[in-house]
Amino acid sequence: MQSNAVSLNDIVAHYGNSQVLHGLNMSVADGELVSLLGSSGCGKTTTLRLLAGFIRPSSGSIALSGRDVTGLPPYRRGIGIVFQNYALFPHLTVAQNVGFGLKQRQVAEPERGKRVAAMLERVGLSSFADRYPSALSGGQRQRVALARALVIDPPLLMLDEPLSNLDAKLRVDMRSEIRELQRANKRTAIYVTHDQEEAFSISDRVAIMDAGRIVQLDAPETLFTRPVNAFVARFVGFENLVPMIVVERDGDRVICEAAGGVRTTLSLAATGPVGDRFVIGARPEGLAIGAPSNSTIPGTIGVRTYLGRTYQYRIDTPAGPLVANGPFSQPLQQGEAVGIGFLADQCCILPMENN
Amino acid sequence: MGADTITRTNRVTALAPWLLVLPATMAVFALLAVPVGSTLAESFSNPLGVFENYRRFFASDYNRMVVLRSFWIAFATTAIALAAGFFAAYLIAGSGPRTKRILILLSVFPLLTGVVVRSFGWMVILGRNGILNNALIELGLINAPLSLLFNQGAVLVGMVYLFLPLMILSLVGVLETIDQDLYSAAESLGSSPFGVFRQVTFPLALPGMVVGSILVFTGSLATFVTPRLLGGERQMTLATLLHEKAIISFDWEAANTIATIMIVLTALSLVALGMLAKRLSPKGRA
Ligand SMILES: Nc1ncnc2c1ncn2[C@@H]1O[C@H](COP(=O)(O)OP(=O)(O)OP(=O)(O)O)[C@@H](O)[C@H]1O
Ligand SMILES: [Mg+2]
Repeated sequence: MQSNAVSLNDIVAHYGNSQVLHGLNMSVADGELVSLLGSSGCGKTTTLRLLAGFIRPSSGSIALSGRDVTGLPPYRRGIGIVFQNYALFPHLTVAQNVGFGLKQRQVAEPERGKRVAAMLERVGLSSFADRYPSALSGGQRQRVALARALVIDPPLLMLDEPLSNLDAKLRVDMRSEIRELQRANKRTAIYVTHDQEEAFSISDRVAIMDAGRIVQLDAPETLFTRPVNAFVARFVGFENLVPMIVVERDGDRVICEAAGGVRTTLSLAATGPVGDRFVIGARPEGLAIGAPSNSTIPGTIGVRTYLGRTYQYRIDTPAGPLVANGPFSQPLQQGEAVGIGFLADQCCILPMENN
Repeated sequence: MGADTITRTNRVTALAPWLLVLPATMAVFALLAVPVGSTLAESFSNPLGVFENYRRFFASDYNRMVVLRSFWIAFATTAIALAAGFFAAYLIAGSGPRTKRILILLSVFPLLTGVVVRSFGWMVILGRNGILNNALIELGLINAPLSLLFNQGAVLVGMVYLFLPLMILSLVGVLETIDQDLYSAAESLGSSPFGVFRQVTFPLALPGMVVGSILVFTGSLATFVTPRLLGGERQMTLATLLHEKAIISFDWEAANTIATIMIVLTALSLVALGMLAKRLSPKGRA
């Protein structure tokens, strides 16, 4: 078996009596950058804390580079971490903060100073070397935290929302700095963020977390086009999720029925035999608004929102409300009767969930 | 007219706080500054010369010995309380909320009884027919009772017991404010547990250590009951000597002189500890 840089196996974790992680599985290959993406409180920071060894799992095992480290103390794990709340040492200057890890590694003075200065240069804080953290802005503190973790060049780097406090331009700059360093040194990194665009642009793979589990861990393109369940689908923008049942099929052309007895014709090879139930997911731009016909879902135009190049419509149908985009050149009026078709190549098919 | 009213109101408003604190200030002045001032003045008012009382005091080997002993006992008490207190406070600050409350209550409990009770308790334990001697004899470890009281060891035990709670409270206060993530950060950067202690916990706890040390040092320099009960005649300190001069031999000149020496020693040690703290402590705290 190929040894992964990180593998978490069936991790269960508690804080006191409340269970936070419910059997989490994840593996990260050597030299890979994986993002953890998920809503607030879903357990991202907890996952990092487990990997770093600050807390112990109630059950399950953790391996780094194929070695079981479940019982190993943090300072033996060789992990660099950027804390969500920075955790800068208030009694040390910026330079001393950044040099802290090098000092622990017995890097002697002229060399240590040089490496600290080079790293401060990279994060744009050269002129702040002798300040104390209390005299820095939030974004500057965050960059010190980043520099402190990057300068030790750890085999595994973990970043907990490392750019959340920076302005848009700095965020993009720092993002490419991180990616560049990680790639150049062939290091493994785990990156926590709330920002979908950030996750998709920086990562080799993205893990979507929901309530203490990883629901999908895939390349950004795969996540974006082939989500595995409704949670991920909604997360990546499939706003319309319509349950269907196959009633007739003829090669690739399938006639399906949705709630309210409305039927539509899809050209989807991916669906099963007659009687098969599934959910079709479509982004607003994955629906086509046309004249009513017997191969589309009938609906009436509701609220219209101007989005710049297009209009977005809320459309009431017997199968429930849908959200679709229509061209700017042909605005539709509220109350107009239309037919909604699915653009098969932009839709995703999900298994039926019982809830 | 309007402008005039406004200025007058302003003047009264500006004076109001001073007027309000005046009675209390006068009371403090009358009750504290006057007696202390007269003590100081008396000690310098020997007709043979301003420093005559001091010359006489320090001419005696015995007195010089007492000064050194007082200083040494205060210093040793502070050092022991600091070491033991840090250990206890570290445990307390690191424990869960329930355990923490119980431990704090336990360590503060002695403060609820008086100084006399707390020192007398040790007489019961250490006396010739005390608990410790009886136990040792019962166990057959010794034949005759040891004399455990009226020596420096007994005074130190009593003093540390007396002042440890103050030290623990000062230290818990500062240790609790240290962000736990700082420990995690240091560990993730490769610090061993001892390294974390030396480079993070210790420097950040310094202010509490200084406050605790000042409280304990000045307190033990001034304490009278404990050296009196546990040290007796043989372990005379400045406080007990002062008591003897004033109450037993009615030598008011000597008493005033000793009191002034104690005030000066306390002030000097405050300055010294303050300077030490300034040198040791980092500047970057918010
Ligand atoms: N020290 C703690 N004691 C008790 N519960 C905790 C503790 N830390 C976190 N939790 C709980 O565990 C859950 C997961 O927390 P975690 O910090 O891992 O979330 P997160 O995904 O990092 O969220 P965010 O995006 O807001 O940072 C939350 O419900 C939180 O309330
Ligand atoms: Mg978090």
